[in-house]
Amino acid sequence: MIEESTPSMEQTALLTFVDRLMMRLKSKSLHRNILHTFASIVLALGTAAIIMLATGYDPLQAFSALFLGAILNFDQVLWRATPLLLAGLSVALAFKCGLFNIGAEGQLYMGSLAATAVGYMIALPIVVHQLACLVVGVGVGFLYALLPGVLRAYRGAHEVVTTMMLSYAAVFFTQWMVSQGPMHNPGDWRSISPIIFDSAQIPKILGSAFLNWGFIIAVLFVVVVDFFINKTVMGYEMRAVGSNEDAARTAGIDAKRNMAIALGLSGALAGLAGAVEVQGYYHRFYDQWSGGLGFDGITVAVLGRNNPWGVLGGAIFFGALKAGGLFMQTSAEVPSEMVQVIQGLVVLFVAAPRLIDWFSNHGVAYARWIKDRPLFGFLSLIALSYGVFGAFMGILVAGPYVSSNFSLLLLGFVTSIGGLVVAIFHFQRDERRTRATWMVALLWALMLVSGLSMAAASVVSVALTLAGVGFVISILLMRLQPKSDELKEAA
Amino acid sequence: MMLQVDPFSPIMIALLIETTLQMATPLVLTALGGMFSERSGIVNIGLEGMMLIGAFGAVAATFFSNNPWIGIVVAVIAGGLLAAIHAVITVKLKGNHIVSGTGVILFATGFTTLMLYVIWGARGISEEVTRVPQIIIPGIEGIPIIGEVFGSLSPMIYMMFFAVLISWLILYKTPFGLRLRAAGEDPSTLDAAGVNVETIRFVAVIISGCLAGLGGAYLSIGFGSRFGKLMTSGRGFIALAALIFGGWRPIGCFLAGMFFGFLDALQSFISLVVPELLPYNNFIQMIPYILVVIALAGIGRARPPKAVGTNYEKERPA
Repeated sequence: MIEESTPSMEQTALLTFVDRLMMRLKSKSLHRNILHTFASIVLALGTAAIIMLATGYDPLQAFSALFLGAILNFDQVLWRATPLLLAGLSVALAFKCGLFNIGAEGQLYMGSLAATAVGYMIALPIVVHQLACLVVGVGVGFLYALLPGVLRAYRGAHEVVTTMMLSYAAVFFTQWMVSQGPMHNPGDWRSISPIIFDSAQIPKILGSAFLNWGFIIAVLFVVVVDFFINKTVMGYEMRAVGSNEDAARTAGIDAKRNMAIALGLSGALAGLAGAVEVQGYYHRFYDQWSGGLGFDGITVAVLGRNNPWGVLGGAIFFGALKAGGLFMQTSAEVPSEMVQVIQGLVVLFVAAPRLIDWFSNHGVAYARWIKDRPLFGFLSLIALSYGVFGAFMGILVAGPYVSSNFSLLLLGFVTSIGGLVVAIFHFQRDERRTRATWMVALLWALMLVSGLSMAAASVVSVALTLAGVGFVISILLMRLQPKSDELKEAA
Repeated sequence: MMLQVDPFSPIMIALLIETTLQMATPLVLTALGGMFSERSGIVNIGLEGMMLIGAFGAVAATFFSNNPWIGIVVAVIAGGLLAAIHAVITVKLKGNHIVSGTGVILFATGFTTLMLYVIWGARGISEEVTRVPQIIIPGIEGIPIIGEVFGSLSPMIYMMFFAVLISWLILYKTPFGLRLRAAGEDPSTLDAAGVNVETIRFVAVIISGCLAGLGGAYLSIGFGSRFGKLMTSGRGFIALAALIFGGWRPIGCFLAGMFFGFLDALQSFISLVVPELLPYNNFIQMIPYILVVIALAGIGRARPPKAVGTNYEKERPA
């Protein structure tokens, strides 16, 4: 890229903001992070495609609908990204202090309920009213998270459990408030609150039916949180506690106080997410309106690697998935729940950064290994593709028999996993690869037998081919295994 | 006009005990699962997801095979498979335990809801399937309380007692149990003794998923007879609390699970005995969740296994 200009930039004594930004953009670790994140997303989408194939949906159609839906409804993407962004910042802030705020959902509910209460119970002039609602929402969110924060810091009660429990409690409490409780909309059969005053509503942007100024508020908080974490004393102390509690304590930092406040601030951001969403779009409190925004916040924070700007990217990505998901459901008839599956997969792949390393390292070594011994290497490559193909076919062939023959389904599943194992063993150049290939060929023979006994033509034809190919590959593998390799691998 | 029920009549006490057992079974099973994982050093907050996929797997398999026992087996396998993913990420790839656990929960939530739609075309609950047949002990119906409680119980409740016993034996009386505890306390010493820490942890995490899957299966085909979206409703986390409350010990998990099960039972008991409180049902439903928080705050700093949550990196020979 443009690496020649780097040294001159370092020599410049006056580092402007732009220069510093450029430096950061050029840092190795950032590139690595971005690469890992993209690789994780690609892997997650790939795995989702396999799940779609196995459940009888067309992944190409689904993904194009998802993409098209996100492009066509870009205002919806940003609208969906707004609470995700704030919830993501909430989780990321707690994470910086080594805390895991898994119950942001509850703080979000409490914050939005409080904002609603101020929004319809008190009449205030415009601007003042909107701010009052936001401030109260933030305050209630802060308090609702401060409680588990204090319990964690001073009593050692694990925040993962307590915030989650309080989250369930908040759902029940808010439900009561708008059904039997004092905030129920009189004469309504639904569990909702009255509508908030116009003066409390956050106006929409550019005539969009969804996007409102809340998005700008959320983006503003990216800057605020970034500044707080990286440029203030308290932010520094929180990061110190998060990276090493004992060391921070030795350095004279009050770790307990910082923990409690960090979780409280995290809750404040979650409360803000709830308040913005109610004031900007719903305009009243619906029972269980959020549907897991707090949990989505974890996904966003994980994807953004707890960096506020990364969280912004993650929020827009998941906002796009959500907005596109509905379009996908109507146009490609793939249930929008698929989006949640993709979310889970993204988190799983991001959680394992070494998976990407594993892929690249073994990929390079494997390619070199094949180059050294072209004949056996090529055969191994064929066996690898055989494994991957068999993994697909196992599920695909046995899938239709889900209701009629359970043992066949189970066998197909085991065969699929076997295929994967073969592929991994070949990829890793594990010496058990020949044995594994034998096993899978045998499994396909078993599939053939059970297919014959059921007179299932599709199973018989596929199993016959794959068993035959499998045995041929296995025999060739045994024959061609170079002696020197065996010795080398044994050593 | 509601019927006034005497809360201290033998029938009601028997009901309370029976509901306690029913509510505690999934918690105890899952808490035991969490215990295996955490004693080996791997934090497993994905228990909720493993329960959910177990509950789903049990109903799906029972639906297609019409045999609830196959359902149980599939639930155990499904929980174990999901746990294997967690194990690969945390043990092999040294990923963050909590992030991976969250991923497991998200994936299980999405996947079960998706499959609910794929299989039954439903968005809320599945079709009804055969339940695991109750074990009926003949001849004790006449005995007050005991007869009503143990006369007809799900075999999975007996399984739960059995699991506690077996877990205790495995953890404290077998070499594997000793290694498992060492992996959670001091993995480098275990490694120096020539035991593969990764293998021990891997197996422990898979056991935890199998037990959580079993716990989920009890919810869907032992206690109920269908799968509902998000039917575990935080029980995985309550089990996690029971694990902490029980001090990471099998008997402790059992007692804590029973206690939290009792709170759950008390909740339905109250709404039955004091019908005037019905408009405040939400508060009664909150009781178990709130009390878990109070309980955790009350026990103060519990002592977890020393190496829990940390990844073990084998030292590379220089």
